[in-house]
Amino acid sequence: MECRELIAFAIDDRVGALRDAAGPERRELAEHLEACAACRAELEKIEETWSRLGDDPDLPVSPDFRKRTLALIDDEMLRMRLKQFAPRSRKRFVRPLAEAAAVILAALGGWWAAHRLPAPAAQAASATASSSYPAALEKAGALSNVSYRPADRDGRIGVSFDVTSHKTIVGRPDDPQMASLVAYLVSRGAQTSGEKSRAIELVSSHYGTGETPASPDIVRALTATLKKDQNPGVRKKAADALAGFRMTPEIRAAFLDALSTDPNPGVRLVAVDALAASAKEVPDAKTIESLREKAFDPTENGYVRAKAASALKGIEF
Amino acid sequence: MVKDQTAGSEDRRLLERIRRGDTDGAAELFERYSPALLRFADRLLSDRAMAEEVTQEVFVKVITRAHQYDGRAEVSSWLFAIAANACRDRRRRDRRATVVPLEAVPEPSQKGDGAEAKLLSRERRAAVRQALNDLSEEQREALVLARYHGLPYSEIADVLGISVGAVKTRIFRAVETLKARFSEGDTAWNAAN
Repeated sequence: MECRELIAFAIDDRVGALRDAAGPERRELAEHLEACAACRAELEKIEETWSRLGDDPDLPVSPDFRKRTLALIDDEMLRMRLKQFAPRSRKRFVRPLAEAAAVILAALGGWWAAHRLPAPAAQAASATASSSYPAALEKAGALSNVSYRPADRDGRIGVSFDVTSHKTIVGRPDDPQMASLVAYLVSRGAQTSGEKSRAIELVSSHYGTGETPASPDIVRALTATLKKDQNPGVRKKAADALAGFRMTPEIRAAFLDALSTDPNPGVRLVAVDALAASAKEVPDAKTIESLREKAFDPTENGYVRAKAASALKGIEF
Repeated sequence: MVKDQTAGSEDRRLLERIRRGDTDGAAELFERYSPALLRFADRLLSDRAMAEEVTQEVFVKVITRAHQYDGRAEVSSWLFAIAANACRDRRRRDRRATVVPLEAVPEPSQKGDGAEAKLLSRERRAAVRQALNDLSEEQREALVLARYHGLPYSEIADVLGISVGAVKTRIFRAVETLKARFSEGDTAWNAAN
């Protein structure tokens, strides 16, 4: 073995590549080291370098990071399950786009014909283009965000617009696909608070009754909204909707969490009501303890405190 | 982290559960790999907040791309590869990550240490971080996977998408650089004291 091979060999040894190395290689290394003082010193330095890297100990996973990431995973899994119902299929975009392209081609064709053909034929071409235009427009959907470009050097003007279409999906509330679509709309992040609130109102009016129990996806979407939505009005709507459902451990946990962490007293009041109503039927130690804490918490909002105290009176211990 | 066959097949089963929409499967994969992925990202970026973001990004990508895993490499290699790519993106976006002020290096709690020992350990840790940071990105990735995660050459090659020979070269050069760096540091330290 040459001296210059030693470093590579020593590193292989640290990485574990020599773990199963044949005896002769190891023997060769040992023999070489015995005879070569320079390599012994070199090996010592490599070992020291390798061990010194251990001065940077491993970073632990903090409980907060763990909690946040598990919640994120939960959300992402829900989104994945609902994705097939998301109104994002290629067809939805391809058709209007194709139709819009047809409109534009027809218009351009008409313009081209009007400018290139002799006068009578140009009139006919324009007429053809204009008669096909409304029909194509009607198929493509509504035009919005329209803007106009003044004539360029060649005298061509421009009209830009978005083509939008509106879909209606009809189904019974207990249809699993409809329930999933509604859950998706409640959990979807990219929408205004008003849109989200309307989705929750729909849930409140059609689910949670004995006739149409809410699907687990809807419950999950609502508990996630109660926990994370930035808008207190939306969180309160989610709490109201959940309060209309039959109490489950998941819903109870969401209310207990809201009672102790939600910054909005309106949301906490709904949580007190829902938890108290459920504890009247089945007294639950954690619920009672949480209500007791709220009733005696001097920093809590007066209404919430009074509500918690009066709720406790109504529960038979 | 020495992988055995049982761990590999368990990982594949978890991925299959994720494909089927099983949230518990995703949570189990998180429990299994979040410590290693967080440490990996932390050593590549030297920024705890960014390392946490990268780790979260890995799991979101695993969920959305579980169907893309082709089974050619270990699931662990696939996860590390996603993390390595995410770290590269972060570094490209924010070159500030290459600067490691001493106070920015998070310190794991060490119970019962005296103030002097704590300071010394903090300085050593910062010195190692700075030395790692001064390596090229390629060398650092390979070295961190070998030294801190115990991955064999073949798995590092899978993670980084390079040949085993290239992995060996990168680690060799990294060790050579660090050896010189630590020797210089010791000389300076001894001279100052």
